[in-house]
Amino acid sequence: MTSPMTARRPPAASTTGEAIERAERWFTSRGWRPFPFQRDVWRAYLAGESGLVHAATGTGKTLAVWMAPLIEAMREPRQASGLRVLWITPLRALAADTADALIQPLGDLGFDWTVETRTSDTSAAVRARQGRRLPTALLTTPESLSILLSREDSSQQFRELRVVVVDEWHELMGTKRGVQVELGLARLRQLRPDIRIWGLSATIGNLEDARDALLGTEPRTSRLVRGVEPKRVVVDALIPPVIERFPWAGHLGTQMLPAVVNAIEEGESAIVFTNTRSQTEIWYRALLEARPDWAGLIALHHGSLERKTREWVEEGLRTGRLRCVIATSSLDLGVDFSPVDRVLQIGSPKGVARLLQRAGRSGHRPGALSRVTCVPTNVLELLDVAAARDGIEMGAIESRLAVERPLDLLVQHVVTVALGGGFDADALVREVRTTRAYAELTDAEWAWVMDFVSRGGDALQGYEDYARVVQRDGRWIVASREIARRHRLSIGTIVSDAQITVQYLRGQRLGSVEESFIARLRPGDRFTFAGKPLEFVRVRDLRAWVRRAPNGQGVIPRWMGSRLPLSGELAAAIRRRLDEAHRGCFRGAEMEALRPILEVQARWSRIPALDEVLIERVRTREGHHVFVFPFEGRLVHEGLAALFAYRLSRFTPISFTLAANDYGLELLSADAAPLDEARAQGLFSPRNLFDDLPAALNASEMARRQFREIARIAGLVFPGFPRSGKTARQLQASSGLFFDVLERHDPSNLLLGQARREVLERQLERSRLARTLERLASARAVITTPRRTPPLAFPLLIDRARDRVSSETLADRIRRMQLALERAADA
Amino acid sequence: MPDRGLRVDARGEELLLLPERAVFWPRRETLLVADAHFGKAASFRAAGVPVPHGTTADALTRVDALLDRTSARRVVFLGDFLHAKEGRSPSTVRALTEWRARHHAIDMTLVRGNHDRRAGDPPTKIAIDCEDGPLHEEPFAFAHHPRAVPGAYVLAGHLHPAAVMTGPARQRERLACFWFGTEIGVLPAFGDFTGVSEVRPVVGDRVFVIADESVFEVR
Repeated sequence: MTSPMTARRPPAASTTGEAIERAERWFTSRGWRPFPFQRDVWRAYLAGESGLVHAATGTGKTLAVWMAPLIEAMREPRQASGLRVLWITPLRALAADTADALIQPLGDLGFDWTVETRTSDTSAAVRARQGRRLPTALLTTPESLSILLSREDSSQQFRELRVVVVDEWHELMGTKRGVQVELGLARLRQLRPDIRIWGLSATIGNLEDARDALLGTEPRTSRLVRGVEPKRVVVDALIPPVIERFPWAGHLGTQMLPAVVNAIEEGESAIVFTNTRSQTEIWYRALLEARPDWAGLIALHHGSLERKTREWVEEGLRTGRLRCVIATSSLDLGVDFSPVDRVLQIGSPKGVARLLQRAGRSGHRPGALSRVTCVPTNVLELLDVAAARDGIEMGAIESRLAVERPLDLLVQHVVTVALGGGFDADALVREVRTTRAYAELTDAEWAWVMDFVSRGGDALQGYEDYARVVQRDGRWIVASREIARRHRLSIGTIVSDAQITVQYLRGQRLGSVEESFIARLRPGDRFTFAGKPLEFVRVRDLRAWVRRAPNGQGVIPRWMGSRLPLSGELAAAIRRRLDEAHRGCFRGAEMEALRPILEVQARWSRIPALDEVLIERVRTREGHHVFVFPFEGRLVHEGLAALFAYRLSRFTPISFTLAANDYGLELLSADAAPLDEARAQGLFSPRNLFDDLPAALNASEMARRQFREIARIAGLVFPGFPRSGKTARQLQASSGLFFDVLERHDPSNLLLGQARREVLERQLERSRLARTLERLASARAVITTPRRTPPLAFPLLIDRARDRVSSETLADRIRRMQLALERAADA
Repeated sequence: MPDRGLRVDARGEELLLLPERAVFWPRRETLLVADAHFGKAASFRAAGVPVPHGTTADALTRVDALLDRTSARRVVFLGDFLHAKEGRSPSTVRALTEWRARHHAIDMTLVRGNHDRRAGDPPTKIAIDCEDGPLHEEPFAFAHHPRAVPGAYVLAGHLHPAAVMTGPARQRERLACFWFGTEIGVLPAFGDFTGVSEVRPVVGDRVFVIADESVFEVR
């Protein structure tokens, strides 16, 4: 990844104008012309400004910012040594591709700069070399940036830094990784006050927020540069040939397979996007069964596959060797796959911006349209497709919600800075407050964070013999090498369950799956992973050893947290489409195809109008079901389900099992819920929301679940160490256990408060939830009592992810329960 | 005699299963405690992981209450008394020593478990006899690992057992339990900061779950 070192360097440009001319001549030599927006970026950069560039992918954003520091350097007589450009990218896979793009102009323009990547994939040898000397331009991930900042000589290594570029900022913003970048940038601004920061982003609903989060709260001149207009996007759908009138047939399975095969054949090269990793495995298997002759011509791509496999697949897409790749969001971003001329989306698009991004992966040839074809996996998803098209037409692009001062991440960062040469507490808090995420950090919160890292708890109950960070000569540092080692290993905010590597007995690694999946397998069980039929042999040394199985049947792993909720914009568009259907209007091919199902819904129950909220009460062998349909996306519904269950449970001792999906929620109980009584007392009322919601969260498992991520980021729970001995295993405790112990013995611990706040504000989007309640409270409630489960409710009935809220004593509940003798496979 | 708990028969002997996660054997006035994992939180703290104080003190208070209520003359710990070498912190050792002094008249025995082998026996001033086990006492064999012993009914720990209960309207609950098979009875873990693992009982096993302050037999 190093540029040729042989190029002779032309003499320094005498004026900025001359330097810009050289850059423009390079464009001309490649048969291009700089876009006006690219010139805007150069001028702003040379004037010392920072900014955010937003444009569709593949429209020259990379060169817009990369050329700027090159032009700057052309004016300097001597080439500087040391790191000048730091390029942060959300995906490891992108780093290598972007490096290739950055190297291109260097030789032609006579630069002897070095361009290297540094990610968790980087070999130990390269890392050691970088430890001695960093390249001129370094491409890295947010996590690897933190690791660089944890080096003791971190202030030295950034001495020559001129610019930090944050690529795909829209992907990072609104996540804790984005906050990690904000903290890293604040550190770099402190070390090098005159650095410029430039972000690259796709178009999102709140670009000004995105810029402010990137650049921090200290005033500085900055730009928002708008790039080239996106290509026109066409959205269509494969309509199921036969739509059964009865909704339990709504689940299409692989009925759409022939149509998908035809669509793939129409193009030269296709990407088939799915919403989950499991779905890629399922569709890959189905496509190969339908077309055995495609063996070797189709492949699958998702984040849990081995890196070498992923790279091989990406290469195949670029060269056109593969005719189809089935992928998750792992292929949403990144450099162009020019041969791709067909994009399919399996399942609901979930959001307007997401569908646009995926559509943009096709049609890179001049004059081509971007086209995406949606494939419903359930007929109701046709509704999502029609609504997504409405959203694109109206330009209803989603915003990214900012993350408010996550203390777990601040705990991690403080230890990182202590490792990176130590800090003065007053200076560090000033620095941290220059980020958007921590601008409102209170003195009490900061004091708690410092107590937590130095004493383990607040001042009153500091822990004896505990010290992660200690004070020496007025500066806070990490004294223990063991703590330093473990901290560097666990830096990172992407959280997943314990992962376990899947490997053939004869050696080749396939990727990783969650430990909980492997725990359910017994030797001899079959499963499919990385598109290969496998037989599970045993677990040893944190690896699942497998051998090839003869045929493709067997279970497919599921990964947690892979269900994306419907966006607010798409949800609103769906409500408008249903309102039309309520009035008997079925516009477009999708709605026309859905018509028989929606007519069953209207006959058995009702299609809700825009000013109505539909409530269905259904009795089945399982018990009494209450379905409510706010159409606000799964996360809001999870919160509402807990809230409604909590409010209902105050009228009588009762136990609820809860389910939620993008359309609505279900409350299931053994006895009928006191719905009428509760409605009369304000079941849907936004009043007391701020008291009732936290109580509802305590009653459910939500805060305890959210704590998984927090415990890991704050360094309570470690990811499995690759080569850890027995000592590490004696330090294993589940985040749930931590949660319980903290609740009992340190209830004022702010990390517990953060777990609750995150559930309220991020997971449940409290403000959106409050707005939804206001809408529900003013809407006309229509209660139906269908004899069978109507089409809209059916997917909820068969949903598996469930929460619980109860006002009965545990003992009373247990008396009515039975022992699960053999744990079911899906338990 | 204690008012709480559930009386069960094991090989003709009456045992009392206690909701505090212990077993009392009235005929021999013996209290059985498995997997206390004392000092686990301290071993985390020693490694720079902040776990609050109080788990060890809480567990000791529970033993106090049990000794008081049952008037037991002897305690047998079924392994994993101490969690780790790093957990032998001054505060843990001090708490254990003071607690032992309050019950100096009571005999205490530890049947060593896998954690004890690495953590070492309790300091001698705590005065607990340590044995590798199984420890035979007609009709029982006390052990840490739940392995069958010919001619005896084994009472053991190690597993931290929990049972999964299912009910109407898709209810589901996971609860710490006593798991008594035909040859072996497994006790729940006594320590607070220990966690549980689901067990898979088979037909013929008896399972007693702990819910709130009571012990129930479930089937």
